[in-house]
Amino acid sequence: MGDMTTEGASISAGIDLSQFYQVFFEEAGENLDNMEQLLLNVNVEAADDEELNAIFRCAHSIKGGAATFGFSDVAELTHQMETLLDKLRRHELQPNAAMVDVLLQSGDALRAQLGRHQGSGAAPVDTTELLTRIKAFVEGGAAPAAAAPAPAPVSAPAPAPAAVTTGTRLLELQVGPLADMSLADNLVELFKEITDLGTIEPLDAGQGSDGMRRFKVLTSSTDNDLLDLFTFHVAREQVKLMPLGPGFGFHEGAPGAPPAEPPSNDPGYGFFDNAPGVPAGVAPAVEAEVKPAAAIVPARPATPAKTEAKPAGGGMDQTTLRVSIEKVDQLINLVGELVITQAMLAQNSRELDPALYQQLTSGLADLERNTRDLQESVMSIRMIPMSTVFNRFPRMLRDLAAKLGKKVELVTQGEATELDKSLVEKITDPLTHLVRNSCDHGIEMPEDRLARGKPEQGTITLVASHQGGSIVIEVRDDGRGLNRDKLIKKAREKGIDAPDTMTDAECWNLIFAPGFSTADVVTDVSGRGVGMDVVKKNITSLGGTVEIDSAEGYGMKVSVRLPLTLAIMDGMSVGVGDECYILPLSSVVESFQVQADTIKTVAGSGRVVEVRDEYMPVIEMEKVFDVPRFDFEHVSSIMVVVEAEGGRVALLVDELLGQQQVVVKNLEANYRKVNDVSGATIMGDGRVALILDVGSLVRRSRH
Amino acid sequence: MEASNVPALRQQGAVTAPSAGPKSGEYLTFRLGSEEYGIDILKVQEIRSYEAPTRIANAPDFIKGVVNLRGVIVPIVDLRLKLGCPSAEYNSFTVVIVLNVKNRVVGAVVDSVSDVLELSRDAIKPAPELSTSSVDTSFITGIGSVADRMLILMDIEGLMSSAEMGLMDAAVAA
Repeated sequence: MGDMTTEGASISAGIDLSQFYQVFFEEAGENLDNMEQLLLNVNVEAADDEELNAIFRCAHSIKGGAATFGFSDVAELTHQMETLLDKLRRHELQPNAAMVDVLLQSGDALRAQLGRHQGSGAAPVDTTELLTRIKAFVEGGAAPAAAAPAPAPVSAPAPAPAAVTTGTRLLELQVGPLADMSLADNLVELFKEITDLGTIEPLDAGQGSDGMRRFKVLTSSTDNDLLDLFTFHVAREQVKLMPLGPGFGFHEGAPGAPPAEPPSNDPGYGFFDNAPGVPAGVAPAVEAEVKPAAAIVPARPATPAKTEAKPAGGGMDQTTLRVSIEKVDQLINLVGELVITQAMLAQNSRELDPALYQQLTSGLADLERNTRDLQESVMSIRMIPMSTVFNRFPRMLRDLAAKLGKKVELVTQGEATELDKSLVEKITDPLTHLVRNSCDHGIEMPEDRLARGKPEQGTITLVASHQGGSIVIEVRDDGRGLNRDKLIKKAREKGIDAPDTMTDAECWNLIFAPGFSTADVVTDVSGRGVGMDVVKKNITSLGGTVEIDSAEGYGMKVSVRLPLTLAIMDGMSVGVGDECYILPLSSVVESFQVQADTIKTVAGSGRVVEVRDEYMPVIEMEKVFDVPRFDFEHVSSIMVVVEAEGGRVALLVDELLGQQQVVVKNLEANYRKVNDVSGATIMGDGRVALILDVGSLVRRSRH
Repeated sequence: MEASNVPALRQQGAVTAPSAGPKSGEYLTFRLGSEEYGIDILKVQEIRSYEAPTRIANAPDFIKGVVNLRGVIVPIVDLRLKLGCPSAEYNSFTVVIVLNVKNRVVGAVVDSVSDVLELSRDAIKPAPELSTSSVDTSFITGIGSVADRMLILMDIEGLMSSAEMGLMDAAVAA
């Protein structure tokens, strides 16, 4: 570690590093998330160079930071990951699923390690096994767990040494004796200029007593290439390359390793000093000139100071900023106040003569626009897209499916649906439960699926959308669905009253009973029956509902409907009398102008309108909301067709005022539930407008 | 209501019931018509001028609607209508006392706010037993007398969270 923290040490001399810890942790967390995402997307058969490079950069940034701050365990693990990734991106190794697994697990371990450094109090993470596995891959893909293709077999004698470019090697470079010590520094410059060459760092204090300079070199180039390059600065005879010693302990005393030769006799190739695992039969074949089978030198002990090449603060272009939620709320309220003040100014300036106060009015116009923009931007801060929840599922499903031996594909829709941060946090756990359930209980084994004529790969679909003043999140799978008879039987075993006459919906709801599980076998994934009732309880506590739909053999759909507490919604504002109401745009189907005579009555009271050969119930907004009228001659003539819960109604309004994004506020926070209203919002002028509950209006028409 | 009023009034009327009696302390006084009321200053969040609220359909007439108070939707109750004042006009003197009761924010419309008075225990007299009244008097906790003024001291929290006010769902008010 000592040499890795050179930079950190120099900083810490003057500055208290701990003030940057938080930045590092956040940055590292982002890098880890990013890396995981990238790893999941890697196509092992045809890995994209850009992707591999991106993954490498993530690992590298974490390593740099960890080394700077002295988190040696994190640095060591990332270093090994980096070594493997480096080989992958250089196409020296062919990526395979087992490698991706190891890298993902390493990511988890890193997270745990970082958590520990952040003071989570967790036990130290044992990464020995991971390190061993990564090393096994690095050495040629011969991981014990996975029969990975090994393009650089350990035992290959590599008869054409010049072609050997496999692997990163750690070498000791001796230069000298030199008349002018600074000549050696040119070599360091060389490494800086040719970034692909590797890294170099001095092993001594820069001044050998015998006129020799020693460097530690981590490179993937052959000795010949290196020597050729060095001759630009130093005579070839003055350069010696040899593997760096202390790291190769694990093959020490390998049978058949020839006795050590004194390095001084050999022109620079003290290769057999430590005999790193070269099989006995191969060793004698080795000729001088260039060291063969360079790939077998594991890079494990290397602790190169890559931090020098790319400083630890690799995440300077950080794209997010963490702010406490109170600050955001305060900002939202202040902007609200500003909007009101601005509206007031606009109102008061209306009587002024624009010719006389031209500058003032144009200033006020600017103020109005800026205020609006500011309000919009501020409002969007609290909103985070559903993708933040959805993104955690691909990884989870991948692991889960692998564990269960199933093939599952995850499809997500509506990731852009924005939801208040607090709500997002609370629905993550219930959703995770549902997805696990779908994978464990819903999706069949590949052979069962084939036998049923389904594609081998099951599909789990996650959909988020705004619907009728709620957010609906659906978890669908195309698995075996629920078995009605089995459910009823189980329910009776549990002593639940379950008559045969139950409707399907009632029957599906049985799975929400505490302790209810239809799994024949309890697995460690699910089946203990603690799942669905907890899911239901959690969602109910958020004021939401859960509905199940299922068809045996075809799959199952769980719809979670959550009320909007503070979600941004696209709204359509409509005017009725002097009042303004908001309709969720997602439920608006169309709007049109009607002639009074096209509205017909049914049974004397119910009114319907004909829309393209379809008769639709009419709801007169001014009656429902008891809107006061001052101009009694006015006749509403605009119809807005809205759809919810499978039904359509036509709302009769006076005018369409516009469309805008509105922030849904809860009326119940300080008041109570109001019929046909799902919430309220604050309009641009600071006034409150009520948001209609289209579902309730549709239900109203049915009665 | 009548039946439940009587025992409530008796209890509050009894001088010996220390918990039910009004506390000494600072009171915000305001006018409703010709009457002057006092409420615990600690329940008052702020005082604002009246602005037309957004009407809520099918709500009782004393609930004028909701307004936006710095991003918070706040219901507005006209105390004059609630307490049966003969007239309730909205002019430039009409003010809204924004109250914080039971962790909720509620605005109360009054004719005017007078001042803040410090009332000692001696200055607070028990509420008289009003027998038949259409006005809800169960939330009158005492009468404060300062010089020649008579202040009707009111348990504003109890009033605002009462079921008949209909401001809160039953679970919250309980």
